[in-house]
Amino acid sequence: MSTQSTSTNITLDYVKTIGIVNNGFNGRGFANPYDIVVDPDGRIFVLNRCDPARASAIRIGICTLDDEYVGEFGKGNGTGDGQFVWPVAMALDSQNRIFITDEHSHRITSYTTSGEYLSHWGNPGDSDGELNGPAGIAVDSSGDLFVVDQHNARVQKFTPDGKFITNWGSFGNAPGQFNLPWGIAVDSDDNVYVADWRNDRIQKFSTDGSFLGTFGSPGDGEGQFRRPTSVAVDPEGFIYVADWGNERVQVLSPDGDFQILLQGAATMSKWGEDYLSSNPEEKSEREISNLRPVLPEHLNTPYHISSQTEPNFWGPVSVSLDKQGRLYVTETNRHRFQVYQKH
Amino acid sequence: MRNNDTALMAHLLRRAGFGASRNELEEYIAMGYDGAVEALLNPSDPGNMPDDLIRRYHVEQSELRDLAGSAAYWMYRMISTSCPMEEKIALFWHGLFATGYAKLNQARSLLNQVDMFRRSGLGSFEDLLVELSKDPAMIVWLDNNENHGSAINENYGRELLELFSMGIGNYTEDDIKECSRAFTGWTLGNAEYMAVRAAKDSIWPYGRIAWHFDYRDEDHDAGEKTFLGETGKFNGEDIIAIIAKQESTARFVATRLFQFFAADEITEDGEKAIQEMIASYFSSGYQIRAMLRTLFHTDYFKSDEARFARVKGPVEMVVGAIRMSGNYQNPALGIEKVSDTMLYMGQGLLQPPTVEGWHEGSEWIDSGALVERVNFAARELSDVTSPGVRSIIDRLQAGADHGVLEPSDLADRCLDLLGPIEVSDETHSVLVQYANRHGSLDLNDHKPGDEAEQRVGNMLRLVAATREYQLA
Amino acid sequence: MTSNKRDKSLIVIQLSGGNDYLNTVVPYADGKYYDSRSKVNIPQNRVIPIDDQFGFNPSMGPVKSLWDEGKVAIVNGIGYENPNRSHFRSMDIWHTAEPNAIGKEGWLARAIRDIDPLGENVLTGINFGRGLPRALACPGVSVASVGDLETYGLFPDVQDEELRMFTLEAFSRMYGNVAGRDPIMDLMGRTGQDALQGADILRTAPGMYSSSVEYAPNSLAQNVKSISQVFHANLGARVLYTQHGPFDTHSGELATHAKLWDEVAGAIGCLMDDLKEHGTEEDATILVFSEFGRRIKDNGSGSDHGSGGVAFMIGGAVNGGMYGEYPSLSEAEQIEGDLRANNDFRSVYTEILEDWLELDAPSIVNGQFEKLGILQS
Repeated sequence: MSTQSTSTNITLDYVKTIGIVNNGFNGRGFANPYDIVVDPDGRIFVLNRCDPARASAIRIGICTLDDEYVGEFGKGNGTGDGQFVWPVAMALDSQNRIFITDEHSHRITSYTTSGEYLSHWGNPGDSDGELNGPAGIAVDSSGDLFVVDQHNARVQKFTPDGKFITNWGSFGNAPGQFNLPWGIAVDSDDNVYVADWRNDRIQKFSTDGSFLGTFGSPGDGEGQFRRPTSVAVDPEGFIYVADWGNERVQVLSPDGDFQILLQGAATMSKWGEDYLSSNPEEKSEREISNLRPVLPEHLNTPYHISSQTEPNFWGPVSVSLDKQGRLYVTETNRHRFQVYQKH
Repeated sequence: MRNNDTALMAHLLRRAGFGASRNELEEYIAMGYDGAVEALLNPSDPGNMPDDLIRRYHVEQSELRDLAGSAAYWMYRMISTSCPMEEKIALFWHGLFATGYAKLNQARSLLNQVDMFRRSGLGSFEDLLVELSKDPAMIVWLDNNENHGSAINENYGRELLELFSMGIGNYTEDDIKECSRAFTGWTLGNAEYMAVRAAKDSIWPYGRIAWHFDYRDEDHDAGEKTFLGETGKFNGEDIIAIIAKQESTARFVATRLFQFFAADEITEDGEKAIQEMIASYFSSGYQIRAMLRTLFHTDYFKSDEARFARVKGPVEMVVGAIRMSGNYQNPALGIEKVSDTMLYMGQGLLQPPTVEGWHEGSEWIDSGALVERVNFAARELSDVTSPGVRSIIDRLQAGADHGVLEPSDLADRCLDLLGPIEVSDETHSVLVQYANRHGSLDLNDHKPGDEAEQRVGNMLRLVAATREYQLA
Repeated sequence: MTSNKRDKSLIVIQLSGGNDYLNTVVPYADGKYYDSRSKVNIPQNRVIPIDDQFGFNPSMGPVKSLWDEGKVAIVNGIGYENPNRSHFRSMDIWHTAEPNAIGKEGWLARAIRDIDPLGENVLTGINFGRGLPRALACPGVSVASVGDLETYGLFPDVQDEELRMFTLEAFSRMYGNVAGRDPIMDLMGRTGQDALQGADILRTAPGMYSSSVEYAPNSLAQNVKSISQVFHANLGARVLYTQHGPFDTHSGELATHAKLWDEVAGAIGCLMDDLKEHGTEEDATILVFSEFGRRIKDNGSGSDHGSGGVAFMIGGAVNGGMYGEYPSLSEAEQIEGDLRANNDFRSVYTEILEDWLELDAPSIVNGQFEKLGILQS
């Protein structure tokens, strides 16, 4: 399986996988991670959505590229200050504040990168500034926030403390319309990209919501998407898409031309190695197993293939970038993220 | 009342489905009985709650790491399908080929088995047994991955004959051995690694790894075997071909189908229906669909004797009440608690207590289960905010004389719209008396949640609490 | 403290699926054990020794402590003639005390009927958990199945107290006529009536209970805690039943079996501590049983259905010790590769019925069986 994916314009090298499932309530590992942000010091913040049985331990975990688990923060499950019910995505601003959306509580909560709770804002509704299922969130160059308001089929712009600025969008599949949108990104020109989830496309807008273009169509071919959940744009304008329904990640040129397709190439993480070395029976059986099996017809869909092909992405719900050209793919069903280096 | 179309169709839908709201019932009535039977037996597009929506919000139902989310996933399917027979037949086979989570620790594979029941459950019984023998969840459940040419493990071979087809008394211990030999090599991919993971309930490092069938020829005992008097170098499919043509197999399948789809107890007339089903089994080439078509068209099935002749299983109870209330049409927090209620009533999806499945019929009723059942249905159907109950309120108003219902009409119409449900005179008089407490009910200008609507909810609650409501 | 002489209660913990005798009471000094169980065995140095021949599974620490206090009776080689290796059938045999016919009445249901022939106390027998075991099932005998003691009852969601009362009253009338029209309707009628009667009383039990014992968060321990709450609420519950599993360890036995016994031993330990704290150790006896043991030879990963198994009786009134011979592992003595049972399970039932519940045993267990002396003073 090649670990280098390349087009004429861009190359992505697989670097490593970090993660292990954490079945408990704290400590090293992840519990259905849903998003990642990376701070200027290279600390990786991972949002754990958690299944209902572990919801009391909803938290943001922090680790480094060297597999050090630094710590975690959060105040657990609920609607009190700093708590979450269904957290979806994060954005990091230049003042080391992390903004986290909650699509069940209809609010945005902020923490410092040191784990201190700051505030929350947002009220349920469909008037300007009200939210119904905030999902993706991104910061622009002025520090303002763009929030995907999924059930209101729109994008809303706020100041960091939640003052409404503007919004656009309505339900549908025409340009400028949305259908349960999810992820959002802002490029270096302050253009806004939205992962228009159920329309199987990425839409691009100027900062005030003028429609600029659309990329992708429903399907599983190159440049096609099935339920894209997340989008990221690098300084050169390359567009990274979490093609969740196809269990893959795609990269498009700034003009929207297909460049690269990634299916995942996960190797054993450091934490995984630790586990296996204390479980030699599992380790030895694993070593003689074929982790890329050929599957029967009725299991020949991306979801099923990924459910038993461990190196593949499974539930790649988010793509994030750091300042050193690295791509982080968050896989919620595998409790890990894969890191790729752009050249 | 019994012989009218509505009551007959409601009866059919309680059996081939989970009951039906009046809206649903009217759609089927429009097809006519024969048309409805064909529509039910030939499920096409179930139009259920889409997987992408479920997985977006329920991360645990995307991953299926644990049991709770997995049972809830199937429940969503049963609640939202427009092909209820597909779910009923899957539930039937799930109870018969009872495969439990506790030993497997692999929910994705269990749900794949349920998918297989949907796909193949109405087709040829022979084909179904072959698929079952290749189903990795079944293979692990009955240890066929430990059944080697060099060391036979008889668990699957035994249960295939005892519990999944012919039944005790129709084969010998030697037949079991020969049968088991034929299934050597029928295993799953990465069998040893998967077995270790199942045994240890391992989720490390990256969560669960699902299963697929693998045939290991080198592990297969290819020698000559004598099974039920026939000799040959039988492999699994050959054994199943022999099993499928046995009278005892036909009787077994017909009886079990009858008890699930017709009545808990087999009367003389019921026995005649079973005989007709056995004939269909052979004349159709072992097709389950044909057997059920025969059953649904027997005089017995349409007769009084078969009405309300089954105790609803917990799954039917819960799913039926929810389909009536119309709740849970969208992914909702807390859904797994609802699927837990079925467990408390004695039937946990994906966790039959042993390979023998659940004891059905009157055994569903004991003090604890009855309390759970009544409480669940009562709560669900008294909820005036739910779409189904609002629809009932609208129908009550539309059918009332100038929007006003006399107490006995309120009772009768609620019984009708929740079924129609037949109740004894005594039950009926209690219901009327209950309605009488506040006299006639004026539904004109009713507002959401007002007293008039609450009165409807209270009546529905009491109907849901009747003994008769427990029956299908 | 025990001020009144209270009626004795039986607490049953059923191990569902066929508990592996050989790895529960381990014949660690017998070479044949290690020969037969080459993969699925308890190493000598991990066994908790009872004596120089036998020891407990390492997960059974709390049971060993009770053994040392003389409160544990081990009944060796328990079973019945012509062993049946089907879960369904064998458990039914244990539940109905009918090895040779299909019994329809549970032995404990019969006991409850004899204790309370007129059904005056619907809480005479209570099952803690889901699904009433056949042992407690008999037409005409009401036994509550309590999933969650704190919330047990009808229409708990109806806030308006007056409406709730009115609805309960209507329910009572609807379920009140048991006119013999139809067995299912009659069954439901009686069951509904009994549920009503029992519910309000049962729900008071947790409120009356106070204890320093902390039960583990697993389902068995929580059920056992409920048993303790109801037992100590003095509601006249004479038979309190629960179950745990799955013990059907065809593969991956060692880890599963260890975990299960950790839970069972833990729950028993807590319960005995609780009884001690309340001064009721002599008023309850615990029976632990399974429908069969498992095969002598392992299958490389686990063990298959066998016959002769082990049962325990635990309590302050128990004469601790080993009862009956540990079945021989030698080939000559085996039944088709299984341990030969040498104690009919109905002996234990007889002892419980006569010496503990003070009932006529032969009519309940369909015969006369010799007692072992576990409970005689």
